[in-house]
Amino acid sequence: MKNINPSTGYKMVFRWSWREIWSGQLWPVTAALTLIVACVVALSALAVRVEKVMTDQGRSMMAADLVFHSANPVPQLLLSDAQDLELSVSRQIRFQTMAFSDNNMQLVSAKAVQSSYPLRGDLVLTGAAGLQKSSVQPGELWLAERLFSLLDVKVGDIVAVGDADLQVSGRIEAQPELAYNPFRTMPSVFIHYSDLDKTGAVQLGSRVQYRIFFNGENDALTQLQQDHQAQTGDSWISEKNQGRSADLIIKAKQYLSLTILMVILMASVTLVLTCRHYAASRAESVAMLKSMGAGRSWLRSWLFSQAAIMFLCSLFFGSLFGIALELLLRLPLQGILPDVLPGYGWKPFAFGCSVSLLIGLPALGIPLLRLLDTPAIAVLQKQAGKASKKHWWLASAPAAAFLLFYGGSALVWMVCLGLILLFLVLAGISYALLHLLSRGKWGAAMKLALSRIKRSPQTSMMQLAALSGSLMLLAVIWLVRADLLGDWQQTLPPDAANVFAINIAPEEQQQYLQELDNNSIERSDAYPIIRGRLTHINDLNAKDKAAENDPDVHALRREINFTWAEKLPVYNDITAGKWTPKNSVSIEATLAADLGVSVGDKLSFSVNSQLFSARVNSIRSVQWQSMKPNFYFIFSKDMIEQMPATWLVSFRIDEKQIPVLNQLARDYPTVTLLDFRTMGEKIQSMLVQITWSLSVLGGLGVISGILLIFTLLRLSLKQRQNEITLYRTLGASRKSISQTLWSEYGVMAAAAGAAAVAGAEALLFSLVKWGFQLQPSIHIGMWFALPALAVVIVFISLKSVIQQLLKPLK
Amino acid sequence: MAKSVLSNETELSILEDISFEISSGETIAIIGTSGAGKSTLMTLLAGLDIPSSGEIELLGQPLSLLDEEQRAKIRSESIGFVFQNFLLIPSLNALENVTLPAVLRGDGEDTAKARRLLQSVGLSGRETHLPAQLSGGEQQRVALARAFMTQPEILFADEPTGNLDQHTAENIIDLLFAMNRDHGTTLVLITHDTVLAGRCERLLTIDAGRLVEQQ
Repeated sequence: MKNINPSTGYKMVFRWSWREIWSGQLWPVTAALTLIVACVVALSALAVRVEKVMTDQGRSMMAADLVFHSANPVPQLLLSDAQDLELSVSRQIRFQTMAFSDNNMQLVSAKAVQSSYPLRGDLVLTGAAGLQKSSVQPGELWLAERLFSLLDVKVGDIVAVGDADLQVSGRIEAQPELAYNPFRTMPSVFIHYSDLDKTGAVQLGSRVQYRIFFNGENDALTQLQQDHQAQTGDSWISEKNQGRSADLIIKAKQYLSLTILMVILMASVTLVLTCRHYAASRAESVAMLKSMGAGRSWLRSWLFSQAAIMFLCSLFFGSLFGIALELLLRLPLQGILPDVLPGYGWKPFAFGCSVSLLIGLPALGIPLLRLLDTPAIAVLQKQAGKASKKHWWLASAPAAAFLLFYGGSALVWMVCLGLILLFLVLAGISYALLHLLSRGKWGAAMKLALSRIKRSPQTSMMQLAALSGSLMLLAVIWLVRADLLGDWQQTLPPDAANVFAINIAPEEQQQYLQELDNNSIERSDAYPIIRGRLTHINDLNAKDKAAENDPDVHALRREINFTWAEKLPVYNDITAGKWTPKNSVSIEATLAADLGVSVGDKLSFSVNSQLFSARVNSIRSVQWQSMKPNFYFIFSKDMIEQMPATWLVSFRIDEKQIPVLNQLARDYPTVTLLDFRTMGEKIQSMLVQITWSLSVLGGLGVISGILLIFTLLRLSLKQRQNEITLYRTLGASRKSISQTLWSEYGVMAAAAGAAAVAGAEALLFSLVKWGFQLQPSIHIGMWFALPALAVVIVFISLKSVIQQLLKPLK
Repeated sequence: MAKSVLSNETELSILEDISFEISSGETIAIIGTSGAGKSTLMTLLAGLDIPSSGEIELLGQPLSLLDEEQRAKIRSESIGFVFQNFLLIPSLNALENVTLPAVLRGDGEDTAKARRLLQSVGLSGRETHLPAQLSGGEQQRVALARAFMTQPEILFADEPTGNLDQHTAENIIDLLFAMNRDHGTTLVLITHDTVLAGRCERLLTIDAGRLVEQQ
């Protein structure tokens, strides 16, 4: 004995731990932990990439990573700082000017750009003989498609832009910067930055927009933005505040993190249950080791070494599976993602490790520490002690991390409240169901099943909670996705209007609309447009009143469009008050909030120096990006009908109707046509990409949820092995046992399905309404699909283990 | 010495007024009907539990004055067990199960000695087999080899043949007594089988928690 090296003992313990993991009861725990790591790594790696793609999409629509926009010449310091930070810079000056051809003239929006423009996104210019170019060179002049007919010119003709005579180089097929406001869009022309002086357009006092485009590392961009705070008349534009796409990106990101959180929650439940199962199955071994003289410290290091090896294996294989899973998830996104993908770095792995450690610590720690308390005497006499709660402090680590990471997120709190609510609902439903069922007259199998559920209420409730919780979460993952996409499709459906006609003279209006209807063009109602200002709120100066909430309300800085109507547009939802047709005005909800205006307030306006007042009768919510005519203020007809107005209508033109559009442009030369076809297509394609990404992620969430439920059920069935073997040995028929099992798990699936439906509906309502700020809806399909899914999963799980369970004792 | 437990708020007396001595090297059988308190007596003698009143002195040490860790130390150094349901570790093979007590004691994995012990119980060539690959009798032989691994001063055997058929049981018992003789161990055998008990030098009969007879 003296010649034996004690370290050989450690080697044996190591071998032993290894075998416990691969052939013992520890592999389901390892599998659950590996799944957590794999899911977190895959989802966060994919999230990094999808986020990057979405950011790039947003940035390509603004022509750069970051844009500085100013009404004043750009400070030299900004440019030199950008240079110091090694950012690429491109300059643009935008102004409105008249363009003259030999036959016509037209107000245009001219953009003088450097050859490096655009830093992001595509500029497609088609020159003579179809030659395509992607940048503007000195001396060139590129015209928007419709200017060719408006000015009646062709490539090679001379057009005067301001004072500069330039030869038309070709047409603008696509340009990255897109305007969302139809009233600010004029046909554009591109000239080179160096030709700007020749136009004579930029003079002291002239209205000019200066834009500087920056590309570079995110840190440098943030630095630049921080060092140069926007002054009055300046603004920074990034993908985060860039209207429509910003909203898409923010919501898509919210969905990503929600999915990751839910997958983690589901995997944690599995981990907790598998750990409990493991600890229960090892109580006898621990008692035996104690009887042979194993001390607490030896047992502690024995269990610790098992846990450590298991963690290392899970982290290693989880990371590998995570990489593979990300690859797999990426397959359907191939067409969308760029050829050279941005790397995801070490962060997803660090995140995966921390999450699994934080969850694993209490999930594994609590039952293992409890296992250490198993008395030696249990080796001979089973001890029916109550489970101690003294190790629950371990749960404070993930709780603290949770608060730290998600404490500020309303969405996450909603999920947690949803879960608590679910447990309450579940308790109620299960209690009522069992109570009702046990009153009925049943066969032996059902009676046995019911008594079994009632006999171990704690275990049954835990299984039910795990089952219905997972079902609820996967329903939520899938349906939030559907609601989100539904909303996007609704605000910008594929058949949304893509052309706005403005400046329609009152005498032309009827005829113009008739023309559209004759050509079966889908159109909106026509609205009169009257330019004016809001001057007073309840007889107080509007700017002073607004300053209480927001010192810089956009709508007060300039003249805005008023309209009148007999009733409000159907696509505006009234959030307060009621439309009345006399002496009143309806105000848009965000503006009302900014101005602190509520129903009943008196508002005063000025149109062409004519002053008048109206009472607010209603507040409306407006989807500005819906490509429908929308207004901050809609007056009752009596208020402003008599004032001079022009008319506006929006309509949809498809490929075949382009000649009609051209004809309209020729027949009504004073009507301005704003063509949003290109922008509509761009947003649609971005929607398709995001839809794909979210569907793939949602799909993964659902699949992992189903797998987890499957694991849970198999585990719960395996725990029944001894009991069933005993029944079988006592002579219970195969049929009666399987009937009992089917009844028990059938009741459980039905109860879990019902509870999950209730929980999911409540959670979806709050997530959609307050989290994503959309219109909540009822999901009738889920009411049937979820219980059906529960039954199917239970059926498959039971089917897969029943043969083994029914073997009699050897 | 006495032992009582709380059951549903009422005190249940399991052993009462027990007093006896076991000398080194003796073989003793504790017999009695099911529920008489034999196994409880054994758990107390081996220091797996402590009496409610009175004192047990094991190898010169008063057990009730020792904490759990100190009692565990005595067990690892001086006591061996053979259980009715073998209690081998399912994920360790026969050889590793035998070396386990030495590893627990911090002596390292003495495979040579474990092989010799396995050979002495007739299991040469089965060293790498897992418990699930062994029959009940073979598993109990492994348990016997394990019990003698640390050359214990006292061996407690709790119904060692309870889960075995007649023929295998006899073999195991022969082996148990032979090994006990060879190693000079004190043997405390718990059984309800009077024939088996008859092979011990001394017989203690327990009935309803009391020591009724010493032969």
